[in-house]
Amino acid sequence: MTYHPPATGAHIPSLVPPDDIAECAVRVDAVTRRFGPVLAVDNLSLTVEPGQTLALLGPNGAGKTTTISMLLGLSAPDAGSIEVFGAAAGSPAARAGVGAMLQDGGMMPGVLVGELLAMVRTLYAAPLAHDEVVEVAQLRGLEKRRVDRLSGGQSQRLRLAVALIGDPRLLILDEPTAAMDVETRRGFWHAMEGFTARGRTILFSTHYLEEADVAADRVVMMARGRVVADGTPQAIKDSVGLRVIRFSTIHAGITGLDALPGAVSATQHGNRVELRCNDSDSALRALIATRPDAHDIEVAGIALEDAFITITDGIAA
Amino acid sequence: MIKYLALEIRRSLRDRRYLLLVAGWPVAAYLLFSTVFGAAADRSEGLPPTVAIMVAMASFGAMGGVLMASGPRLAMDRQMGWLRQLRLTPLSPARILAARLVAAMALSLPAIVLTFVTAALVKGVSLPIWEWPMLVLLIAAGCLPFAAIGIVVGTIADGDGAQGLTMVLYLVLAALGGLWMPVQILPSPLQTVARTLPSYHLAQLGWHIARGVAPALGDGLVLLAWFAGAALLAVAVSRRLTLRTA
Repeated sequence: MTYHPPATGAHIPSLVPPDDIAECAVRVDAVTRRFGPVLAVDNLSLTVEPGQTLALLGPNGAGKTTTISMLLGLSAPDAGSIEVFGAAAGSPAARAGVGAMLQDGGMMPGVLVGELLAMVRTLYAAPLAHDEVVEVAQLRGLEKRRVDRLSGGQSQRLRLAVALIGDPRLLILDEPTAAMDVETRRGFWHAMEGFTARGRTILFSTHYLEEADVAADRVVMMARGRVVADGTPQAIKDSVGLRVIRFSTIHAGITGLDALPGAVSATQHGNRVELRCNDSDSALRALIATRPDAHDIEVAGIALEDAFITITDGIAA
Repeated sequence: MIKYLALEIRRSLRDRRYLLLVAGWPVAAYLLFSTVFGAAADRSEGLPPTVAIMVAMASFGAMGGVLMASGPRLAMDRQMGWLRQLRLTPLSPARILAARLVAAMALSLPAIVLTFVTAALVKGVSLPIWEWPMLVLLIAAGCLPFAAIGIVVGTIADGDGAQGLTMVLYLVLAALGGLWMPVQILPSPLQTVARTLPSYHLAQLGWHIARGVAPALGDGLVLLAWFAGAALLAVAVSRRLTLRTA
């Protein structure tokens, strides 16, 4: 299969005129980060505009968490530079404008939820109202609970509250919904919509293309420390293909199959053909019409990990 | 930063096991020792045993309160990821460290005050009125090196390790520093070691006040030197750790 990067310009917001650069929420410039022999982030460049909701998408080990950790100044790049609203990542000026939910971000043990929020609130110059944050993070009724006696979901909501309370211009979320059930996830993204409606910027990482599709207006796909695709969720989905149709055929040749409506690419292994689709329903109808010899047809979702690997292989080739 | 400091202190005071250990232990030890040795003649400190032991146990409890509030708690916060989260706020690392030092120092007070109250009420210890606040202040201030030592422990050791290391340090410093028994009964090489320890000089500060004389400058200087050494070490190890885990 071949991968065609999204057309330049139209939906690649990283290409901004030079005079707008100072306005960038995030500017990552040729950043590299190694852990011993492992190249976690490989010459990464990325610009995020204020008001964007950007999903950093990729399989485990793609470099998402390392990138986020450097954006927050928790770890320093081996090469390259990172700026947040024009200030060096991790500098006092940058910290004042950034809120973050970390995967391993613990909360102060032994204090009450309300006490913790009130304390963190005093660290910021223009924080949100205490009650507003309690409401948005759905912590009402938990304020007298000890931080170390919260359930997993409650802890996650507290992390969100702590990230939000300073009213940050940029919110960075490392796999925020990893431990959430479907209902909580929906509530979470609803709360985030309210946040972006005020012109705030969100950068979040996720494994789930579906989630990026729902919540983000830009998806940056990473694999092996590099950006392998960058565009709107629709553009990414179109180029990856979300489902695969497999069938057996007695005729050789797959020419023309990738041109079927809804199909992205076709590959053949023996007499078995694999048709990757972004609209498997249309593709299936067209397939049956054009290839009556197709039999043993199955339709399945593809693992995103496979898609990443395919894409990176395509890029490397 | 004031709010953070206040919350650090509050969470320690809420921890019953901690309070029992750092305030209950010295009070119980005071009652035991002052009852057993109370009838003895004046000790080498030149003080009645009930007073000498009161100062020793207040110092012992103060040192424990400070060591436990700084080391194991820092290790736990690191392990839980709270320190990481806190580093994302505008609070600077220097302020975080300063707040933790001050909070740990403040936790010398419960043991000092409880031991004094017990001594006054149960053993009828009476001192000139100005000596009480002087004692409280000097013993609390003299705990500065222990707060810094705790930061070192909390940086190099994790959770249970920090707890254990703190306990060992606590007991060694107390026993060798002459808080449980006069250093004169130790073998002479150990006496030499004892006289270099911060715990020894902390007790000396208190005993001077209780005798009604000015505290010796030397004791203060040794404590300051311990603080400076531990603080430098704390900065060095935290640098090294940041580089390694970053």
